[in-house]
Amino acid sequence: MKEKLNEILIAAKEEIGKVESLHELQQVKSKYLGKKSVLNGLMRKIGTLPKAERPKFGQTVNTAKADISKLIQNKQQDIKTKEYADKLESESIDISMPGRRKEVGSLHPITKVMREIEDIFISMGFEIAEGPDVEDEAHNFDALNTPEDHPARDLSDTFYIDDDVLLRTQTSTVQIRVMENHKPPIKIISPGSCYRNENDASHSPMFHQVEALVVDEGVTFVDLRDMLKIFVKKMFGEKIDSRIRPHFFPFTEPSAEIDIVCVKCYGKGCNLCKGSGWLEMGGAGMVDPNVFDRLGIDSEKFTGYAFGLGIDRIAMLKYKIPDMRMLFENDIRFLKQF
Amino acid sequence: MKISYNWLKKYVDLDLSPEELEDKMTFGGIEVEAIEKIGENLDQIIIGEIKEKYDHPNADKLAVCKVNDGKNDLQIVCGAPNCKSGQKIALAPIGTMLGDFKIKKVNLRGEDSFGMICSEKELGISENHDGIMELPEDAPIGKKLSNYLEVKDTCYDVEITPNRPDLLGMIGVARDVAALLQKPLRLPKVTIKDGKESIRTYLSLQNDAPDLCTRYTARMIKDVTIKESPEWMKKHLRSIGLRPINNIVDITNFVMMEYGHPLHAFDYNDIAGKKIIMRKAQKNEKFSALNEKKYTLEESDLVIADEDKPIAIAGVIGGVNSHITPKTNVIVLEAANFLYSSIRNTSKRLNISTDSSYRFERDIADETVEKVSERATQLILQLTGGTLINGFLDSYPDPKDPIEIGLRRSRVKKILTIDISSDKIKQYLETLGLELFREEEDIQTYRIPPYRKDLTREIDLIEEIMRLHGYNNVETHIKPQNIMNNKEFYLRRKAKDMLVNYGFSEVRNWNFADPENLDKLTISEEDERRQNAKLRNPLGDRFAIMRSILLPDILKNVIFNINHGQKDLKLFEMAKTFTRNGKKLAKEIYHVSGIMTGILNPIYWKEKQNKIDFFDLKGIVEELLSIIGVNNADFNNSKENYYQPGMGADILFDDLKIGSLGKLDPKIAQKFDIEQEIFAFDINLDKIFTLDLKLKPTYSEIPKFPPVLRDLSFLVEKKFNYADIINTMIEVDPALTQVDLFDEFTGKNIREDKRSLTFSLVFSSKTKTLTDEYIHNIINKVKNKLKEKYQIEMR
Repeated sequence: MKEKLNEILIAAKEEIGKVESLHELQQVKSKYLGKKSVLNGLMRKIGTLPKAERPKFGQTVNTAKADISKLIQNKQQDIKTKEYADKLESESIDISMPGRRKEVGSLHPITKVMREIEDIFISMGFEIAEGPDVEDEAHNFDALNTPEDHPARDLSDTFYIDDDVLLRTQTSTVQIRVMENHKPPIKIISPGSCYRNENDASHSPMFHQVEALVVDEGVTFVDLRDMLKIFVKKMFGEKIDSRIRPHFFPFTEPSAEIDIVCVKCYGKGCNLCKGSGWLEMGGAGMVDPNVFDRLGIDSEKFTGYAFGLGIDRIAMLKYKIPDMRMLFENDIRFLKQF
Repeated sequence: MKISYNWLKKYVDLDLSPEELEDKMTFGGIEVEAIEKIGENLDQIIIGEIKEKYDHPNADKLAVCKVNDGKNDLQIVCGAPNCKSGQKIALAPIGTMLGDFKIKKVNLRGEDSFGMICSEKELGISENHDGIMELPEDAPIGKKLSNYLEVKDTCYDVEITPNRPDLLGMIGVARDVAALLQKPLRLPKVTIKDGKESIRTYLSLQNDAPDLCTRYTARMIKDVTIKESPEWMKKHLRSIGLRPINNIVDITNFVMMEYGHPLHAFDYNDIAGKKIIMRKAQKNEKFSALNEKKYTLEESDLVIADEDKPIAIAGVIGGVNSHITPKTNVIVLEAANFLYSSIRNTSKRLNISTDSSYRFERDIADETVEKVSERATQLILQLTGGTLINGFLDSYPDPKDPIEIGLRRSRVKKILTIDISSDKIKQYLETLGLELFREEEDIQTYRIPPYRKDLTREIDLIEEIMRLHGYNNVETHIKPQNIMNNKEFYLRRKAKDMLVNYGFSEVRNWNFADPENLDKLTISEEDERRQNAKLRNPLGDRFAIMRSILLPDILKNVIFNINHGQKDLKLFEMAKTFTRNGKKLAKEIYHVSGIMTGILNPIYWKEKQNKIDFFDLKGIVEELLSIIGVNNADFNNSKENYYQPGMGADILFDDLKIGSLGKLDPKIAQKFDIEQEIFAFDINLDKIFTLDLKLKPTYSEIPKFPPVLRDLSFLVEKKFNYADIINTMIEVDPALTQVDLFDEFTGKNIREDKRSLTFSLVFSSKTKTLTDEYIHNIINKVKNKLKEKYQIEMR
């Protein structure tokens, strides 16, 4: 009997060792441990043994069963571990291949710069004001204190649509429209298109400006200077200082031109700033009392400042764009860079 | 804290209604959280007189009374022992509501009863239910009880902020109310007649914990009679929710509620060794408090003790060993102050919160001690028949000098905007009890009353000025600009961002245009876009007008890019278009226009590349419209000539054209030298901004039951369009919440004039799980409707 059992054990061990799948293992299991298994057959013969040997025999058979069961369990664990490893192996990919990306477009560099300017001023309590591109002389020149015989009024400088209807030459027109319709305090910027009759590498007949206007009691020239400084630093970075120097505009008094530290050489002098270390950025000044008086705003009570900046020029400086004409060519290879 | 209107009236003339006072207090910084009308339920109770009283024939304990209500004699059955003929009583006539109980005509053991004679408890006046309420002889028969008793009152539950412990009493609140109303404050007049013996022969104080007991005073009154308090005092106590107990306890409570400073009375005979000692408790010292609980004390607790034992946990609770009993004859009146943090710790640790601890832990003033002691003594002498023992024991280790604060009028203006005169400032602050004792130019210097420990700096005074002046009693200072149109500004940005996210690049072209473009697009002569703003001095013929349509310039950009080898393009421009029609200035309208051409998706190794088709464009346009708030536009065959016939759509909202999209007619494209298929759109933003669109989403309930999905396939003639079919389906039943087109099929095995459509139907309900049968019914209804309208054939 004992020999028989040993034979069975050896055979089972061998068979289990060869098994490769869970399905095969199941078959082996029923062969050795199932109802009709050899071991069960042996057990049934227990009656033929002398009484004294029966318990011992039963015990031996059960131990053999437990051994086989243990072997099967271990094998099952091995197979599962291997199957899992195989699965991982087969699913492995070349993670260096490109991911599925959606094509994303781009905002025009002028739009990007305009938004940046708008957001800087909005964060400082300014509102955005808009006005018409097609303007009358009253708003474009008269209200801005520009004399009748000023050369800016020439056909060679300004696009006309009618005798007194033209394309605005500056966004300062919006100042006037705002002051016509709103009482101070006023704190606005007005970004938009302007038009001048000129066309070359550094001038486009249509270009973009942003105009700022602040009117309230107690607004001073120093406020203007400081606001410009703050804006320029927010726009170009802490390193870029700015300064204002005396100039003439018909609608501001005192008037000033705005320079910023050259964004290329940081003031050392280079070809961009023509060695001066400074770049011209726009015009500014305190609103001329005449402008207020014409609009019925008490120029004794209220003071104000205004400044205008060229958006296209800022975009060119910011993105190092060499030629203004590129801004309006709309080459997709250019646009997608921003 | 609870405040009584009637009680407040003792200290300040109130010529405003309880509701107006509520408003005044709330906007003066004393926030009223709840308001309770007292005595309103007594409105129906009238004063009656028992004219006659007979025994009830069938009940020993009941009596039958004839009660006069001022007009008639009523028979009322009453069971009270003190019911007697000639007694003035409180009568609840038939119909009266007493709480939730309605008085009805009843028959009690064979005798009718037309009303009820009430006890004080039944009226909610006191807990007394031993018998009916006995009214004095002079009570006017037939009049309202509430008017006679003057029980009507308004009780405010107010929130006292932690910085204002001075408001924890009626006088403190009255002072603020008086200041808010700019009326004088009437403080109680207190005078005490001196006694004969000296207190020192009876009692001494010993302060062993001067850091915790900042002041302790005692007065003694002998020969007191412990009894009920007079009605006026009980009324006041009840009005703020306190239960009258006996005259001494009531007086200490009354004065605490009056000044916001607690007091305590001891029975002198219980004090061992003729000495009151303020000391720290011994570790594990035991104490039996008035609330019938035993406490184990710590060394950090302050106790009031005699030579043998603690008689009170200072500021928190008294002891059973020394409290006032009906036998008490000589009392010691404690008025004291303790370090607030110590009281707070003890109260917290022992979990005892009393009206007393609530006040002491809020840092009340040492200086109020004298006043409350005098006031309580006065009332005790008045109401108990006692005699004062001469003298005032006072342990006051560290009196503080009053605080002085300088106030600049210029500073007031700087902080508050308003220009208030020095006189007005003085008036405001003096009604709060501040004393102006120096004034020079801009600066007024005030002495701060001790009960206002919160006033330590100039800015604190400025706050008081603003509070009394009224936060809303000042004109608008910030004038809004309202120049910017935020909605349009940000919607334009959103629209651009959305297009960029869908792969479009933004172009910018000059606003000058070639008038020939309009001919190329075959825009008719009558079209508004032909009414151009023409330049007198253009750069050239190709720039002769201000553009009235954006598309040609974008097409120009397309051919430029194609010529540079870029054939797959998605471009858009957002700009003004200009027309001029008789008026001086031009009409300037924001449009957004764009094109798509070439391959839809960029090269990707897992996907094949698709050519752009109409529905790629339409999907983007629908998304764009939805971003700017247009969610249910109609798409009709386009009237524009430049779209390929059958492949162009005008976008309508309420029959108003807001844009168009479609495939550019190849013949037109050729005029711009373009051979590729171009899909173009144009949207009139300014027109959309004039529509009344709902931009803010509002929450709609999420269904609790899972949705059920079904497919539906049928053949239908091509002449019927999808939009009509789907609208017909969705209208059939509210449980059919969504219908999506799943497939369109034409060709093989299908007649040429027909197409097969497969829809995915979503059913859901907010209220129930949908059964198969229910859904089956709806599908049948859908089928029938479609058969009827479009003669569909099921597949």
